[in-house]
Amino acid sequence: MSLYILPKDQLSAFVEALQASFRVVGPTQTETGYAFADIVDPEQLELDYDTTVLPPKKYFLPQREVLFNFHANALEPGTGQLEVEPVFQDVTPTVIFGVHTCDMNGIMLYDKVFAEGFRDEHYMERRDQIYVIGIECLTPCDDASFCKDMGTLTAPPIYDLHMTEVNGSYLLDTGSERGEALLLEYSEAKMAKSEDMQLLGRTLSAKWPHFRHRLKMSRDQTPSLLSLGYDAHIWEDLGERCLACGSCTNVCPTCFCFDVQDELDINMEDGERVRVWDSCQLHEFALVAGGHNFRESKASRVRHRLMRKGKYIKQVHGLLGCTGCGRCERACLVDITIPGTLNALYEEMQLEPGG
Amino acid sequence: MSNKPKIAFFDFTSCEGCQLTVIDALQTHLGLLDLVEIVQFREAMTEKGEDYQIAFVEGSCTRKSDEDRLRQIRNQADVVVALGACAHLGGINSMKNRWTIENVQTYVYGQNGKEAYESYPARPISAVVQVDAVIPGCPIDRFEFLRIVQQMLQGRKPKLPDYPLCVECKLAENACLNTLGKPCLGPITRAGCDAICPTYGDGCEGCRGWHPEANFEHMREILRGHGLSEEDIDARFTMFNHYQMEHMGEDSPLKPEAVLSRNEALPSSDFAAPQEAD
Repeated sequence: MSLYILPKDQLSAFVEALQASFRVVGPTQTETGYAFADIVDPEQLELDYDTTVLPPKKYFLPQREVLFNFHANALEPGTGQLEVEPVFQDVTPTVIFGVHTCDMNGIMLYDKVFAEGFRDEHYMERRDQIYVIGIECLTPCDDASFCKDMGTLTAPPIYDLHMTEVNGSYLLDTGSERGEALLLEYSEAKMAKSEDMQLLGRTLSAKWPHFRHRLKMSRDQTPSLLSLGYDAHIWEDLGERCLACGSCTNVCPTCFCFDVQDELDINMEDGERVRVWDSCQLHEFALVAGGHNFRESKASRVRHRLMRKGKYIKQVHGLLGCTGCGRCERACLVDITIPGTLNALYEEMQLEPGG
Repeated sequence: MSNKPKIAFFDFTSCEGCQLTVIDALQTHLGLLDLVEIVQFREAMTEKGEDYQIAFVEGSCTRKSDEDRLRQIRNQADVVVALGACAHLGGINSMKNRWTIENVQTYVYGQNGKEAYESYPARPISAVVQVDAVIPGCPIDRFEFLRIVQQMLQGRKPKLPDYPLCVECKLAENACLNTLGKPCLGPITRAGCDAICPTYGDGCEGCRGWHPEANFEHMREILRGHGLSEEDIDARFTMFNHYQMEHMGEDSPLKPEAVLSRNEALPSSDFAAPQEAD
């Protein structure tokens, strides 16, 4: 839409102005790295960060989300009748700074899953209040990144504002009318000039050689590769190594499966229904009444995760279920990686010519 | 007369820290006393009612003379709950099972230890009586204690998480200690404590016991990566879980030496035994 320019030293004033009306969150330094957290002091915001343990998913789909409260019906005690009060948790005007392009692709997927078809009202209420301010990635986070392979190295059209650092200033692209209004109301940003636009173009072109390819195939091939490789040998080896710890899915910006549980207050009459993150890598995930488990072996669970990432989600929602952010690879203690797995599968499928 | 279920607390070989946690939970969740009537709790009250329906037992069984008392509790109670790692697993008491009892008695209590103090290998209470439910941990987690009491009062079978600690650790967005070079048994340990130790920077020591799919081989590989010797790794695996590891038979991931080191003499004790103190 429109391009604005804000000198870097005016960012703090922008954040401070927003704090009067918004919950402002963004990447902050921790003892061991970075994490998305509430910005109390504008100086905490670290836009030049590599990666975080959890993606900003936690603001869209909290780890523990109350869906409703229930309590015994006061008018008809003893009947077991319950009164239910819907809860919309964490619905508050929020600005998220510093969202990398991979994570914005994750948010684009939540918007498809939770806002199209069956609209999840808890998600929708919260989503409407969240402004996404992206930051252009000019260098890879680290060796685990493979965003270039997954086509997530450019910002998808879900941001309200998208920042690129150029020559001591931020160039801000407005992705929505409300984003532009936010910028104009709370910051001193000026319209960018045509030389700024040229500079932006050069900066965006110059970044590509810094990112490497890790996949031996194109991402368009992953659905068919996974179909062909359903019975491949690699899954057994991966299942043997897997710790079934669920870290890969919990840190994943595109994993959104949840469990729903009832939690009782100490009086045993009132309580709340909550949804919490779940993981297909855990034994109980596919366990059903009667004791049958659709994915009893760890090998079948690892395969299922890769199928979701590279095939199923694409079939259903039109987007690949992997953004190449590299978080699962950083979290895995037994070196199970998406590029490594897809490449091994690709190799195995080449063994028989034409097969 | 109240219709509330009557509950009682008992202790065997333990530090009584789990019962302290229960007392602490009563301070923060007074409503618990509206649900149950406590008839016996040596650490908290003088009265000793014997008409309990639910017995919470802390501590492992480490003496022949403990067995009768355990059986009496079992006979009286409709439901027996193992409270904490000692009762659940044998706990740190079971570390002594690596050596002969005579060695341990002499090491701890001095030359007259064998005569003065009765002892035998530490076992979880489930080795002596049937146990209906378990509240793991060293000490127990107060919220899990409350949850399990509620589940029992609803007539449901208490349920523990059957996945590893890493799940809760990731949800808390902790940096992984194993990737920072600090040994942590989270990947093989049953969740339920909200990963409290890793959250405060200490590696998990497995006090809640193993989760059903614990991958010992690759856990060992991760620990080797921290430069730990096989002996150090066995020591970590058996800190709370010696009894379990010993009874896994051929599935035990321990080096045979770790289980069979019983005949080795212990080094002489640095602690003054009671009768040797000045």
